[in-house]
Amino acid sequence: MVGVAARMLIDEPAKSVGTLIGVVVSVFLMMQQMSLLTGIQGRVTSFADLNDVDVWVASAATESIDATGSLPERCVSQAAGTRGVAWAAPVIQGRGDVTRIDGVKEQVRVFGVEPPRYAGLPHALAPGSSPALLRAPGRVFLNSRDRASFGSLEPGDRIEISGQVAIVAGFLEGMDPHSPYYYMFANIDDARAYASFPPDRVTFVAVGVAPGESPEAVRDRLQERMPEVMVFTRRQLHDMELRYFQNRTPVGVVFGMGTVLAALIGAGIVGVTLYSSVMDRLREFGTLKAIGASRSHLLRLLGAQAVLLSAAGYPLGLLAFALVRHLSGPSVSMPAPPWLLSSVAAATLLVCGAASAVAIRRVLRVEPAIVFRG
Amino acid sequence: MSTRAQTVLTGRGVGKVFGADELAVRALHPADIEVRRGEVLVIMGPSGSGKTTLLSILGLLLRPSEGEVLLHGETLAAADEESLTRLRRDNIGFVFQHMSLLSSLSALENVAMPLLMKGVGSKRRADLAREMLAAVGLAGKEQAKPRQLSGGQQQRVAIARALVTGAAVLLCDEPTASLDAASGRNVLALLRQSATQMGRAVVIVTHDERVREFGDRMVEVADGVAGPVRCSREEGESHDDRVA
Repeated sequence: MVGVAARMLIDEPAKSVGTLIGVVVSVFLMMQQMSLLTGIQGRVTSFADLNDVDVWVASAATESIDATGSLPERCVSQAAGTRGVAWAAPVIQGRGDVTRIDGVKEQVRVFGVEPPRYAGLPHALAPGSSPALLRAPGRVFLNSRDRASFGSLEPGDRIEISGQVAIVAGFLEGMDPHSPYYYMFANIDDARAYASFPPDRVTFVAVGVAPGESPEAVRDRLQERMPEVMVFTRRQLHDMELRYFQNRTPVGVVFGMGTVLAALIGAGIVGVTLYSSVMDRLREFGTLKAIGASRSHLLRLLGAQAVLLSAAGYPLGLLAFALVRHLSGPSVSMPAPPWLLSSVAAATLLVCGAASAVAIRRVLRVEPAIVFRG
Repeated sequence: MSTRAQTVLTGRGVGKVFGADELAVRALHPADIEVRRGEVLVIMGPSGSGKTTLLSILGLLLRPSEGEVLLHGETLAAADEESLTRLRRDNIGFVFQHMSLLSSLSALENVAMPLLMKGVGSKRRADLAREMLAAVGLAGKEQAKPRQLSGGQQQRVAIARALVTGAAVLLCDEPTASLDAASGRNVLALLRQSATQMGRAVVIVTHDERVREFGDRMVEVADGVAGPVRCSREEGESHDDRVA
């Protein structure tokens, strides 16, 4: 039946190309919308995702790493003394101003991490960017993908932060650009100065669990010991970041609606052309029924057409997406992780299948006796 | 072989009414009809007389409003749509007035189509279809698309498609209507050959007077009433039908 389905599609090139364009547009739009959303979400959660910290302790009012209070510094020693904790280290996060190459001052998130562990510093660093470089005063790490905003900075270049001069000591890798602020890492003392952060307070306590301990169990113990604070695992931090973003911005809804719209556009185009094709061939379908095609045969025939259209349209849609992504350059984050590729493939199949449902319904209702009519 | 044994398809008191109540239109009054192996039954009548309705009922494409159809002596009154489809696939071949070949497929693929639906493997399908095309005189035309064939050739492809499964009954609706005289004669000869040499039961519905002489028996339908007509090829009372 696949061969027959393919022949029917090939035999009507104009209609098939029209249908294919519908699938390609749909795949492209679904990919683009979901990819942009994934890129934005990746930026939002990149701090949580790129860290090796097992458990975080933060203010009870914390909604995200960007919307949090501070803790007394004694929380660090309290956490360190809890069973199952291998180490605990302070992390501060505050706001500073950074001057871009074009002279514009922009807000920056300054993270302060404590030597020698530098807990809270993302694990992926550019070659030559050792955490130990932050030990020297006035040294900062920037996100490598933000370099263009600062005139292609190189290690050793100077940068102005909150009116103070700092030296770029290295770069972080793997963090999306402008996520959503410029991120900057310094040793905790310098960071306090850049962000005017109180000396006896910290933003987070980063906790590593002892071998054999589960992060969840340690989290529970810490929470029991320090009921006035909020304790969460790395995964929970990721989820919290995402939730905060989704609740605070309409971005998820906008891109979600865009994706649904893309699917509907595809379904509409495919549905109309398939239905039109079926109407043109009603007598042929009547003949098939008369000579013994069962419902299952006809379903397989039209189902195969839907699958073939998906199979042809999906890679072309991906190609269009890849082209647009290439032309957009690195400043626009449009990731295409495997789960997104497979989801869009499944959605394409679903779109084509759903679109062919109307045509299938029409064919199943064809009276085989139609073949006797003139 | 007795007459009873030769009977493949029987219409017993089959009639058809379309619509209901005051909108009801009777297309066919109750009629008895037998279709026998190895003979050509011609159903004649003018347009709108009900002959196509009768053919649709015999072809299991239309359920009769009254009476019943028996295939190989088994009543089909209780058969569901899927069963009727299977029975058509296995027992009945159709030749339509408007060729009704699948335009996207080659002659070979068109002939192989019923075999595909029967689940026959691709090699066997191609072999049988090729043989059947040769049998109807279309060797060498296997890859031709319907639009590349003449009307007579298309009708022969349709006959090959109807014969390829070994169906016991061949139901033909106006098989010569769209053909010139020579092509029409060829097609009728082929149908005659299907009956006499292959032992198929062939039913031809037509209003073409040229077909009259090809039938072993004839039924005439007028205003929805089907009745037997003695034709020149009939051989005495033993071959007489009991068409009412």
